[in-house]
Parts: sequence; C-alpha cells; structure tokens
Amino acid sequence: MSAAVASTAAYLARRAAQKQRVRILYRRALKDTLNWAVHRHLFYRDASDLRERFDANKNVEDLDTIDKIIYEGEASYNKWRHPDPYIVPWAPGGSKFTRNPTPPEGVSLLIFIIQ
Amino acid sequence: MAARSVLLKHLRVNAKPLPHNINLNSSFGLSFNVVRRLFSEEVRGSFLDKSEVTDRVVAVVKNFQKIDPSKVTPNAHFGNGLGLDSLDTVEIVMALEEEFGFEIPDNEADKINTIGLAVEFIASHPQAK
Repeated sequence: MSAAVASTAAYLARRAAQKQRVRILYRRALKDTLNWAVHRHLFYRDASDLRERFDANKNVEDLDTIDKIIYEGEASYNKWRHPDPYIVPWAPGGSKFTRNPTPPEGVSLLIFIIQ
Repeated sequence: MAARSVLLKHLRVNAKPLPHNINLNSSFGLSFNVVRRLFSEEVRGSFLDKSEVTDRVVAVVKNFQKIDPSKVTPNAHFGNGLGLDSLDTVEIVMALEEEFGFEIPDNEADKINTIGLAVEFIASHPQAK
C-alpha cells in the first residue's frame, strides 16, 4: 500500500512543498543564528547545532509527522526571531532602501555657481 | 539708441567662455555660472563581470568543507554533480550572499541549485559588490 501511495502525484507534490518549506525555514533560521551570534566562532557552533537538529528528522517518511515537525520548527523560529536583524542596506527594510531613487530619464539639474 | 548701446556696453561683464555656460543676468554685476548635470547616469549601480563572478563563486564553493575541490566546475549542479543535500545548497547560497554583500529573496534563493544559475543571478543584479 505504501508503494502505491509513494508514487501518486499528490504525494510527490506534497513532499516537494514540504521540502521547500524546510529549505526556507533552514535559511531563515541560519540567518537568525547569524543575527544572534555576534562572533563568528559562536555562529559556526550554533549553525552546526542547528544543522544537527534538522538532520535528526531527516528520515521521517510519514507526511503528517513531517507537517507537525515543520510546524513546530516554524513556531520555534518565530519565538527566537531577532528584534533587530541585519538587513543589507539597499534591501527592503534596510537603511538605504529608496533613499536615492533613480530620477526619471533625461532630467538634468541646473546648478548656479555665483562668482 | 546710441546711448543705449553705449550704456549696455559699459554694463556688460566680461564672460569667460566656458563650455556649457549660460551667462544670465549679467546686468546685475554678478555672473552666474550654470552647470548642467545629468543625473540618471550616476545613480545606476554597476554590474559585475561574469567571469569574475564565476571565479569568486567557484572559490567560495571550493572552500566548502563537504565538497571535493576537484569536482567543482562552472557548470556543476549542487545536488547531482557535487552530491550535496538541499540544506547544503541553502548553506552555499548563504555563503554567496555574504561574499557578495547581497540579499536574495527567499523564493528566489530556493531555485538556485546550480552554479550557473547563481552566477547569472549575481551578474544581473546591479548591487553586487
């Protein structure tokens, strides 16, 4: 029965969606770890701990268990989010975002220099 | 008429002819130098060269601990060719983000699974350093 279940398209689609959720969760959790751990050696240690926590659940096959684990992971990510994350300055949320928007084409400025 | 022209000649200030200069209101006794500046060329970021991007990306990937450095080619696939996990792909994308001073949105970062895609993405982004 599990072989028939394993080959249906719906199952594969659901697995693929779960894998994408796991990847995005891992990416956000890693960035958050970088935000919290100021020194680089602390970051490496925390990142390998995070990786082990993800790897421990790697071989689970049951879809509902996987959903539950992902939900718990997202909940703990939301709990641990850094209040002031580092965002690259020109990205949305950064300090330089839309600071100097590109002027429209062909606009030129006349500067008056008084001598 | 003649008095007018004499008066104007007396009042006219000597304008040094500089390129792109319009001498306005010279009867005030001051001369304004007007400089035209076209803005739109200065604000645009610069795109990085593709071969330079490839070299830097390959160097970052080679420094990764789980990879055999001799297998890294500019066309390698992270999952199939180099034998990496999907979580390893995420780690590599984060390392590339740090290298180039970048921010990749989450759904875009998910789709990068070859070196070629990463190079194209970085080379087409104007703010990659």
